[in-house]
Amino acid sequence: MTAAALELRGVEKRFGATEIVRGVDLRVEKGERHALIGPNGAGKSVLFNLISALFPLSCGSIALHGEPITGKRAYEVNRRGLSRSFQVTNLFHRMTVFENVRCALLWPLGHRYSFWRGVGRLADANRRAREVLDEIGLAARADVPAGILSYAEQRALEIGITIAGGADVILLDEPTAGMSRTETEAAVELIRRISRDRTLLIVEHDMSVVFGLADRISVLVYGRIIATGTPAQIRSDVKVREAYLGGAAHA
Amino acid sequence: MKGGAWTWGAYAALLLALPLVFRSGFAMSLFCQAGIVAIFALSYNMLLGQTGLLSFGHAVYYGLGALFTIHALNLAAAGWHLPVTLMPLVGAASGLAFGIVLGYVTTRRAGTTFAMISLGVGEMVAACSLMFPGFFGGEAGISGNRSTGEPFLGITYGPQIQMYYLVAAWLLLSTAAMYALTRTPLGRMANAVRDNPQRAQFVGYDPQWVRFMMVALSGFFAGLAGGLAALNYEIVSAESLSAYTSGLVLLATYLGGIRSFAGPILGAVAVTLMQTVLASFTTAWPFYFGLVFLATVLFVPGGIAGVVHLHKRLWEARLLRRAAPVYARMALPVVVAFASGVVLVEMAYRASAGAPLKLAGWQLDARSSATWIAAVASFAVACLACRWAWRAAQPRWTEVSALIGEAR
Repeated sequence: MTAAALELRGVEKRFGATEIVRGVDLRVEKGERHALIGPNGAGKSVLFNLISALFPLSCGSIALHGEPITGKRAYEVNRRGLSRSFQVTNLFHRMTVFENVRCALLWPLGHRYSFWRGVGRLADANRRAREVLDEIGLAARADVPAGILSYAEQRALEIGITIAGGADVILLDEPTAGMSRTETEAAVELIRRISRDRTLLIVEHDMSVVFGLADRISVLVYGRIIATGTPAQIRSDVKVREAYLGGAAHA
Repeated sequence: MKGGAWTWGAYAALLLALPLVFRSGFAMSLFCQAGIVAIFALSYNMLLGQTGLLSFGHAVYYGLGALFTIHALNLAAAGWHLPVTLMPLVGAASGLAFGIVLGYVTTRRAGTTFAMISLGVGEMVAACSLMFPGFFGGEAGISGNRSTGEPFLGITYGPQIQMYYLVAAWLLLSTAAMYALTRTPLGRMANAVRDNPQRAQFVGYDPQWVRFMMVALSGFFAGLAGGLAALNYEIVSAESLSAYTSGLVLLATYLGGIRSFAGPILGAVAVTLMQTVLASFTTAWPFYFGLVFLATVLFVPGGIAGVVHLHKRLWEARLLRRAAPVYARMALPVVVAFASGVVLVEMAYRASAGAPLKLAGWQLDARSSATWIAAVASFAVACLACRWAWRAAQPRWTEVSALIGEAR
């Protein structure tokens, strides 16, 4: 059996006495588009923060392509090919759109902490940054500071930074939150395009997005995964219905 | 890049031509001082403006750079073959070395914690200057003589003009180097870490390491400035690594504008002018210095460079004419408020010192209550007029700012 792109075993997270994530086992196969859904407060964002090493685990282990990443620092996990976006837009707000994307390319292209090479001469980074801007539809806004973009544009840039470095496992945290219908459609199209040949784990509240995009879905309720399966399986799952139709209180 | 080439050409030409226009010894020592503070302030802005690190102990690198250079100078006088021209590199190397050692400690945390640790480290090093007087020179300081070496192409660094060109050359070199640094992967990631350290981690960078490298490199340039100071003043005292010097470079950098690369140079010139020219007019100059700094923080957070930048944009957008009435309205009340403020400060100062006061040809009696009442009244009226004029002018100013996209 080949290693999963991402594998969580017995992952737990406590903040003081409060247990937020209570033993999650999750396997995301290579090339799969996997959605994580669940009611508010189920621990979806916390789980993302655990996988991306923003928070340390209280218990359990996480493996990326079969290699353990438990206890690694966030930048180390990122260097191993896992990239994420944030629910609340998280950009380099005083830098231009182009600079934002180029910063996401420097490490993956091996420029590290170099202070002897001008960024203007890094042909690879500049070319790729322009390609990414084309891909996310922000080429015309390249020289604008990220802080003054419109909300939908900032969300697109958020995705652009996440995918620019060529990470093969992508975590998107509510990429369409707060978007209008048309903006959401454009975003879904973008996500579909960028997740080709990549592994995607996505948290999303918009069910039409989830069911239209995901190959498999996991349902997280009160820090536990109560069901994993194809969209059709999830739709007909009794436990899931209970959780979503007000039964969450005694799930 | 054509505009950039012009700017650099003009900068080099200005440095070259300054002593040809202003020939006095006073001007020459003023330029040397300003040039040294400019390098120091630029190095400080590598932290404050570019990496978002507020340091209260940057003089440590400057002072240690100066100390090592003055010791090197004395070694050269004792027969070692060390060219004076390259001696600022001794300061730079020691600044870098201490930047690496102390930076490792200070950059463990960012934000307020960094500021506090930098203050603590600064105080510790300053305390050393009294504990080890042999190396630090104690209260009297250590003196040297920059013109003891063999003349090279007739250059002895005896005359101040030769010292000026040494400062100018190093200033030009280090400005270019620090500017180039802003356009490297490390320089850009320093900006990224300043804006959002969390996100910097998720594009593969360790924010702590970025900060550490910036502290070390900025120590290099601060040490270089210290080395030049040692050569220029031919004496290094404990003050050069004290909290006072750390504070001064913070003020100069902020006054000049931390968001612009060239801002600290302008700030260095402004502070040097206040320390020398203003100080020759009034002994109350530190008070005015404080006021100017306060006004900068409150009203023009972009500093001098921010003001210049704003007017450049107004000029480019051909909006200067529309903004002009704002200045016309504000001019009189501001000038009167400023003048009566100066009169008040000077009167208070002279009254306590018991000296007679003569301002712009006017004999003022600091002991008569009538003079005081007149000054206070004129100050109060002018301040009210400022408020009133600003209220009337604000809509137009808002309109003009909106047109150039300068959100307030």
